[in-house]
Amino acid sequence: MRRIAIPERANWRERAEEAGFAFHTIDGEPYWDESAYYAFTLREIEDDIEAPTEELHGMALDMLDDIVGNEERLRQLDVPEPFWDLIARSWRERQPHLYGRMDFAYDGTGPAKLYELNYDTPTSLYEAAFFQWQWLDDQQRAGRLPLAADQYNSIYESLVEAFGTIAQRLPRPFYLSAVRESVEDQGTIEYLRECAVQAGIDCGLLAIEDIGVSEDGRYTDLKDTVIGTLFKLYPLEDLFREEFGRYLPNAGVMLIEPPWKAVLSNKGILPMLWQKHEGHPNLLPAWFDDGRSPLPAGWVRKPLYSREGANIDLHLPDGTSQRSDGPYNGPCIRQAYHPLADFDGRSVLVGSWVVGDRACGIGIREDRSLITRDTARFLPHAIVAEQTSVLIA
Amino acid sequence: MKRSRTAALLLMSAAPLMLTACGSDDATSEGLYTSVDACVEQTNDRYTCQEAFAQATAKAETESPRYESREDCIAAHGEGQCEQRKTSTGHSYFMPMMTGFLLGQMLRGGQSAGFAGNPAYRDRAGNWQRPAPGAAGGVYRAGSAGAAMAPINAQPNKAPTVSRGGFGSSSSSRSSSGG
Repeated sequence: MRRIAIPERANWRERAEEAGFAFHTIDGEPYWDESAYYAFTLREIEDDIEAPTEELHGMALDMLDDIVGNEERLRQLDVPEPFWDLIARSWRERQPHLYGRMDFAYDGTGPAKLYELNYDTPTSLYEAAFFQWQWLDDQQRAGRLPLAADQYNSIYESLVEAFGTIAQRLPRPFYLSAVRESVEDQGTIEYLRECAVQAGIDCGLLAIEDIGVSEDGRYTDLKDTVIGTLFKLYPLEDLFREEFGRYLPNAGVMLIEPPWKAVLSNKGILPMLWQKHEGHPNLLPAWFDDGRSPLPAGWVRKPLYSREGANIDLHLPDGTSQRSDGPYNGPCIRQAYHPLADFDGRSVLVGSWVVGDRACGIGIREDRSLITRDTARFLPHAIVAEQTSVLIA
Repeated sequence: MKRSRTAALLLMSAAPLMLTACGSDDATSEGLYTSVDACVEQTNDRYTCQEAFAQATAKAETESPRYESREDCIAAHGEGQCEQRKTSTGHSYFMPMMTGFLLGQMLRGGQSAGFAGNPAYRDRAGNWQRPAPGAAGGVYRAGSAGAAMAPINAQPNKAPTVSRGGFGSSSSSRSSSGG
């Protein structure tokens, strides 16, 4: 795994515009960055990322039977009691799920270490599935990357296939929903609709703020039609807590991601995984944490419900500490500190995608700080043969 | 190869589209109702509902799937859903009962510009379906019935909304709800 500088495509901004990539630059700061790419060998991808992703995904699903019916576990995970039955039922019925992303610390040597599971509302999907694919295609056509170069990225094909597989189980109408004002979230659900439509599923977009409730407690669209299936790019724990959440158990709506994902997207799954598979090479030691007692050097504290690197408390082995702001509080976990890969002073996080139950691609995020925030840049990657990559470098 | 063979965009691409979402000025809206009363409750338009029901009933006589045997009809539509009919020449056949009707409204600039009523049926599993375009008439044999019917995506589930905006309040504290 190496970071290799490469000329940008002269027209990449036009390419982005014509492909509906509206958030390549966020608040004036670059988000998409193709001034370099990460080169992997096929062995690194298959042995160090793809295989562990599939294994960890299976291990995570295996935890569910023990958790969904277990009051003590659900309390540890801070899941509100009115939704326990909903979660258990959704798992019993194996309600369909679509996708998730595992975040790994990986630098090309040693096992990738799992930072967390983004199993409810993962983003950076479009740029991983489509725009980095197009980048490779363009760079090959321009002769800057060999035709033999490849990419670990069958995310698009996997999404279309996954939608096709679950189509029969989705009551209609089917809506994809996200916060109206979030350009990034709207871009993500537009891409998911794209994949659903290509799988032959008729579906629409609806702002999460526009969802209505009928007198008998069912969710409605803007034409008062009862929503059959709702893909929500919005945290389950927020839906649970907000005003309309109390209708969820009886609204008859199919949610994607399904309620059982509330257990896996919760950082409390990390200590539970560690407890069951202590010493697994891809897991970091993790424990539940009261959020108050002093954090020893070499440990990281994360709220159970935190996204995009918010409210992370990092105590480095050398005794210094770093902390990120954010809106989250409540119960926490602590996880053994394991540094992100460092390439030229940049901290690199590998996001490994699972669509349906298949590990199918990665996206790379780069941040100047040790904590990867929502401002971290997205860089493309390629799989190149060892020999060839030396020549290019 | 570890990557997708293609990565086509149909909807998001600014290039000429092979497929359009719903961008034209003319649109149709279609409601599925199980009775004239249910239709009136939704639309407040008794005349249109009655006319659409009458149209649907008339079309059902010619467009309903026809089965040679009761068994074939029951296999496709379920017990208690089939009735016997005779052609003018005395030939007997079976057809499913119309269990709902579709009120399709052509909208132009948001105004209704005509309507049509069509019959709706349920298959054995309870899913709504309608005769597929061009499939009217003729006698279906076992096994072919499915192909002659098309699923109805509209749901007989309209419910007046009493409140909106009960989701989304947590989003003000962050730029994205993703991770």
